[in-house]
Formats: sequence, structure tokens, C-alpha cells
Amino acid sequence: MNAPQDVPYARARTLVHPGPFNPIRIQTRTSQRAKHFRLLLQPGQSLFDGLVQPLKEMKIESASTTILGGFFDRLSYCTAPPDPTHQAIIAYTSPIESGKTCFIFGNATIGKTATDNPLVHCHAAFRTEDNVIQGGHIVTQTSIVGVRPITVLVTSLDDFELRVAFDPETNIPLIQPHDISLYGDDRE
Amino acid sequence: MNEHTPIIESGQMGRVAYARIAPNEDLVYGVEKLCLASGFKNAFVRGALGSLVDGCMQRMDGRQEQIKGPAVEIVSLAGEVRSVQDGSMRASLSGVVADPQGTVSGGVFVAGLNPICMTLEVTLEEWLPDNDPPQP
Repeated sequence: MNAPQDVPYARARTLVHPGPFNPIRIQTRTSQRAKHFRLLLQPGQSLFDGLVQPLKEMKIESASTTILGGFFDRLSYCTAPPDPTHQAIIAYTSPIESGKTCFIFGNATIGKTATDNPLVHCHAAFRTEDNVIQGGHIVTQTSIVGVRPITVLVTSLDDFELRVAFDPETNIPLIQPHDISLYGDDRE
Repeated sequence: MNEHTPIIESGQMGRVAYARIAPNEDLVYGVEKLCLASGFKNAFVRGALGSLVDGCMQRMDGRQEQIKGPAVEIVSLAGEVRSVQDGSMRASLSGVVADPQGTVSGGVFVAGLNPICMTLEVTLEEWLPDNDPPQP
């Protein structure tokens, strides 16, 4: 473990990424109004299905969500140490099994893959079956909701869409906001 | 608390902005600049996730606590951005982070000392106080 360090003065480090520097540092889109929904993740469902299926029925494809506390029958997560191959600054670990897990709090972004399939990017803090408080990137397809529903606050993003696109600077695919195109051909 | 600061401020939520903020930009200043880019005078963080090169939290004694990365994952973020009377804009952000081993820490993020590692995905919702003049 990397214990937090008490320091009188810290200096931010500027890391050198493998790709060309993109002069646009904030990619943003704005909607005139957000719509909010209260969603209940259903017992036995994966976190992925529990988020994506009800939102799809509401025709919501892009959203920012806050997942409140609850219990998972199993939960898988990854952490982000340095990439040993140096293709990117970091690389996710293989999934780590947390077992029966108390989910403390999390955020998830709902968007689309480059091939228009639903995508969920989720980070959370949780208490593992071994009673250790951990945090990281949640593998939503293999994390299964426990016996009680879990509440999620959904903020839908209606006037634009979130889609994964390859980011040359970091050399990995990342979720980015895009204008909605009727023809689906406006990818940046 | 300043005597002119109301205890309760009525208002309503306005527009919503989503951003992907790029590597090496600062978390706190990046959220403030997102408000500038979106034309928001005041806003609440509605959701955020991403990673930091290193994390830096303010301690009660005024010292700083650094969480070494990369990457330090942001697992929760709460906060607001307020316009200040001197004409500036100030984000107050707190949250929970996980280091490369998954060990969690939490606190108030120090402005200028939380550079983004790979990406920050953040959603802000505009706050429109009832006593504020309408924006042009």
C-alpha cells in the first residue's frame, strides 16, 4: 500500500503522454435542461443491465448517474497502476473479485461504444467481503446486485451524446461528448 | 460566515454541462474553467469520475496530504462552484480517491495540486439563485 504522505508543500507533476498534445483541453457540451430519474437496480441483475435496460426503455442513451449505497452479491473491480508496456501512462489491472460487497457510493457515466452499443464507466468506493474499504473502476457486467434494490439518481443528457472515441494523446479510447447527428457520422 | 451570506438561498437548476477534461489539467481549476466555458455563474457537481496523477487533500492543520499515483482514481466527487464578489469563480470540491492499490482516502481537494492523469468526466448543473440578475 502507498500510504498518504503528510507534506508541507506538494508540487503537481506534469506527465508526458505517448501521443501528441491536444490543444483543446476541455471538450464540453451543454443541454438547456437536465431531466432526472430515480432508478432502482434490481436484485440479481448485473450493474450494467440494471442501468442500461431501464434507461433504454426511456430512450436515454447518455447520462450521468450517482449510485447510492447497497449490497452486491459479487463485485469485480480494477485499479490503475502504471502500464508496464508504456503504451499508455496507466493500464487497468485484471479484474479483482471483491466477493459479497457493501457498495458505499459510486458514479457511472452512460454512453455508447464506437459501434453504438451501450457503455457504462463506473468508479466506486466499497467494503469488500474481507471487510476492507477499497475503491476503483467497477467491472459492471460481472457485478451482481444483491437481494435489495439499490437506488440510482440519473441525470440524462439530452441535447448531445457521450461516445467512446480513441484519444491519440493518452493512446486509449475515452468517453467524449459529441453533437447528435441524425446520420451518426459526426465523430470527431 | 459573512453577514451578507444568506443561510438559505432559493433558486432553481438551469442548464447541464458535461465535459471531458484532458490530462495534466488541474481538477479544481478545470471545473472552474468548465463553468467559464459554459457561461455558468454558479453550479453543483452532479457526477464525476476519472483519475489524477497524484491526489492532494487539505488537512485540518493546514498541511497537505499527498496520495501518490499514477493513477489515483476519483471514485466520488461532490462540490459546487460559486461566483465571488471580487469577480472570480471558486470551486470547492471534496471526494474520495483510490490509489494504485485500491486503498481509499478522502478530503478536500487542494486547488492546483490535483493534475488529471488520463481523463476527467464531469457533469455540472447550473444553479440559478432567485435573487441573481438574469444572465445576458
